[in-house]
Amino acid sequence: MMNANRLVVLSKYFQSGQRLLACNVRHAGKKVQQVQQQRLFRTHCRQLAYAKDLFLGLLNKDEVFPYPEVGKEEQDEINQLVAPVEKFFSEEVDSAKIDREAKIPEETLKGLKELGLFGLMVPEEYGGLGLSNTMYARLAEITSLDGSIAVTLAAHQAIGLKGILIAGTEAQKQKYLPKLASGEHIAAFCLTEPGSGSDAASIQTRATLSEDGKHYLINGSKIWISNGGMADIMTVFARTEVVVDGVKKDKISAFIVERAFGGITSGKPEDKLGIRGSNTCEVSFDNVPVPVENVIGEVGGGFKIAMNILNSGRFSMGSSSAGMIKKLITMTSEYAATRKQFNKSLSEFGMIQEKFADMALSAFAMESMAYLTAGMMDRPGLPDCSLEAAMVKVFSSERAWICVSEALQVLGGLGYTKNYPYERYLRDCRILPIFEGTNEVLRMYIALTGMQYAGKIATSKIKEMKKGNIGLAVSMIIKKAMSRTTSSVDLGLTGKDGVVHPSLKESAKKLELSVTHFGWTVETLLYRFGKTIVDEQIALKRVADVLINLYAMTAVLSRTSRSISLGLKKHDHEILLTNTFCDEAFFRNNYMLVQLQKHTPENDEANIKKIAAAVFQNRSYICSHPLDRTF
Amino acid sequence: MPEFGVERDLAVYNKLLDVFPKEVFVPRNAVQRMFNHYPRQQECGVQLLEQMEEYGVMPNVETKVLLVQIFGKKAHPIRKYQRMMYWMPKFKHVNPFPVPLQLPEDPVDVARFGLARIANDLDAKVTVYQLPCTDITETGEEITIPHVVGIQSPSQMELLAKHNPNKPVFVEGPFPLWLRQTCVHYYVLRADPPEEKVEEPYDPERSLYYPLRLDVDFGRDLGDEENFDVEDLDEGPVFAMCMTGRGDQATLNQWISGLQENNPMLGQVPTLFRVNAGPQELSASADAESGHAHRPDTETRSEEKLQRDGEPGVIVEEEPQRRQGRNQ
Repeated sequence: MMNANRLVVLSKYFQSGQRLLACNVRHAGKKVQQVQQQRLFRTHCRQLAYAKDLFLGLLNKDEVFPYPEVGKEEQDEINQLVAPVEKFFSEEVDSAKIDREAKIPEETLKGLKELGLFGLMVPEEYGGLGLSNTMYARLAEITSLDGSIAVTLAAHQAIGLKGILIAGTEAQKQKYLPKLASGEHIAAFCLTEPGSGSDAASIQTRATLSEDGKHYLINGSKIWISNGGMADIMTVFARTEVVVDGVKKDKISAFIVERAFGGITSGKPEDKLGIRGSNTCEVSFDNVPVPVENVIGEVGGGFKIAMNILNSGRFSMGSSSAGMIKKLITMTSEYAATRKQFNKSLSEFGMIQEKFADMALSAFAMESMAYLTAGMMDRPGLPDCSLEAAMVKVFSSERAWICVSEALQVLGGLGYTKNYPYERYLRDCRILPIFEGTNEVLRMYIALTGMQYAGKIATSKIKEMKKGNIGLAVSMIIKKAMSRTTSSVDLGLTGKDGVVHPSLKESAKKLELSVTHFGWTVETLLYRFGKTIVDEQIALKRVADVLINLYAMTAVLSRTSRSISLGLKKHDHEILLTNTFCDEAFFRNNYMLVQLQKHTPENDEANIKKIAAAVFQNRSYICSHPLDRTF
Repeated sequence: MPEFGVERDLAVYNKLLDVFPKEVFVPRNAVQRMFNHYPRQQECGVQLLEQMEEYGVMPNVETKVLLVQIFGKKAHPIRKYQRMMYWMPKFKHVNPFPVPLQLPEDPVDVARFGLARIANDLDAKVTVYQLPCTDITETGEEITIPHVVGIQSPSQMELLAKHNPNKPVFVEGPFPLWLRQTCVHYYVLRADPPEEKVEEPYDPERSLYYPLRLDVDFGRDLGDEENFDVEDLDEGPVFAMCMTGRGDQATLNQWISGLQENNPMLGQVPTLFRVNAGPQELSASADAESGHAHRPDTETRSEEKLQRDGEPGVIVEEEPQRRQGRNQ
């Protein structure tokens, strides 16, 4: 402790080690500031900046520790809700039949409506269940047992009616939400067009004001609309002409369109690889009259609404994937323990054990992350957890695909046949990295949002460095030298005010080191690329991957600390899982952070670009065949 | 050998080598080996192999066996053979854009190949606007209609659509393109580089998922700047190219009207024809050639203005000038 103090004092004197100083001071200062804020500004909404502050190398431990809990009454409520849903899914849902016929039977839909699964997040005054995000995530764990049903429900409530829920007027809510919550009407979300997936500028669907000024006429077509064939109420995004500062511009607006307005035709349902029970089709609008009262938000404000809707539904993918993997573990381990080869059961072979360990770790991390995010979102104020939700989505979708593939592998040929549900799970899982924002696009979002935040804060410092301030350059060199000698960093997770349980000290240290290293790397990247980092997708991908790993480590540490402190069942096993996960994540982070440095052999960005350029120039594989001869 | 057309025929070379008597020139003792045994014959062998190398003919096993039988294992021809067998395979595929040995006979196919070679763009589409044929009119005259083959890629079409109608576009040519021994000529439709680069204003509501631009003040670091100044030179956009049998105004007009079908903007933009007279036969008198050899090209250019609204106009005043340059 004394040494640290002396070092801090010396560094202050020589204007070096700013980082080390800043870390501790800022952290302590923030704590003081927060306490002050709580006293003075009660109505000030909390700015959730956990993931964004990781970009600066700061760990806001108050946001994520302790792990969010639900009260006892709420837990009882959850259990009450969960039991009948589980029973329904295990007894009355025939997933194989849904997959075979590419349709969800009417009785199943009726059963779902009776259970209230169509209005989980709709407030009770409109007829829904009014559940919080955490409870919604808990129920998503069960509905994911059948992929088609899960997607139908998600398309209905997570995106279909979310627009009305978050941005609708009282009249619109009164008019539409009750029927939507009971399931009498089904909702759909119509944004994607043939020429426009992520690019809002290429949306062609137009909404023109009629002469009497009471209706908008919508013309255009949308593709890949889930529930498109059976939806009665759709949230359609179309271009409208708006006058902004005297200039006429085309901006997107959101409309609530009922099928009863007429002019809406649905194409035939798409024949998909997985989630075959979910109805996905093309929807065409031909002069559909939409009353002016049905505009969601204001005319021209559709873009923000679209972004909010898309960003808010993602976190439930973590818990639904976790639920599916837990079920898979049960089924697969049953098989692995009973099947015998060479007089040993499969479970005694190391490679199989590795697969199961991987599945257990994935499920553990996924559900920790999902419930942490849901808990953060449920805290009072209006926290912006879009970054964390995107991270949960990317992590869960990719891990789910790998785990299902491995589970099928354990069963070998049997898993490949239609007699077992594994191939259906595999096919259903393949859509996870694609919909709700493809993983590539979400990685860009994760990395760029953080970079924007870090850029704003570090701007002055980087400008100083670029001007050639010698003192700053010297301090940078000293800091880099120090970073190589210090092998541990203290961000307050362990020790006197530590929030992580001492059993997890090693893993917490790894997290702290990773976070600090990440902060430095982000600063270097900003210094090197500045604005043009938007074009460096390979580097941004690595940044996003590191951040996802950091968030996963945090979630896992937080949950395990709580488990140990409470004495939950099998908390010692959780310690084991946490430590293993953190080891792996730390190692991967190190590699990726090294890859982000400029002149290391691990950084193969230039090579990748060259190879891709050669392939695109010829639009084929360009090497000669290995059997070719020249003479 | 070129007279008989067998310069690329390996069998002929082997037969030629066969003419040498076997085992006569093979050195039999150390002294013979020291003193360049039968030097003229070895030179002859080496020259044969050199001609093979010049025409890119790879020798085969038969050649090697013959050479060994004729000259022995350590003579100059066999060394030359070994060097050829080392280097020729390495250089065989060294040209990333090879021209095939046998060019197609049909001028339309040659034009297609040539245009694709210049454009080097997999998206570019070659259109044949007119096929060559000979007509006989009522008066019994023979009129040959030349072929017109053009090429344009979708990105060029977009550029042309965005072109400012106040600025003219130029048809320039003919430029020579050599394909082995044949020279074809192509014409280019281009415009001057735009004075100010118009940057699209940043629309913050463009991308639904991630920000397309960061709101950060500083740009790229010097060490990571990858723009070279050489590439900053803008020659102006090239909108299309064509090759025709006869490079006169009428044919080029045909090309432009053919292009107009897919690029309606061409109807509104003034098109200037900056066409040289094209290649002509070398004149008989050599002094006239030496006298006019250095006249600058600008004198020979003919320009013509076109109507703004309609089809490209009519007559050109060409000054048939002396041309130097190989005839085709």
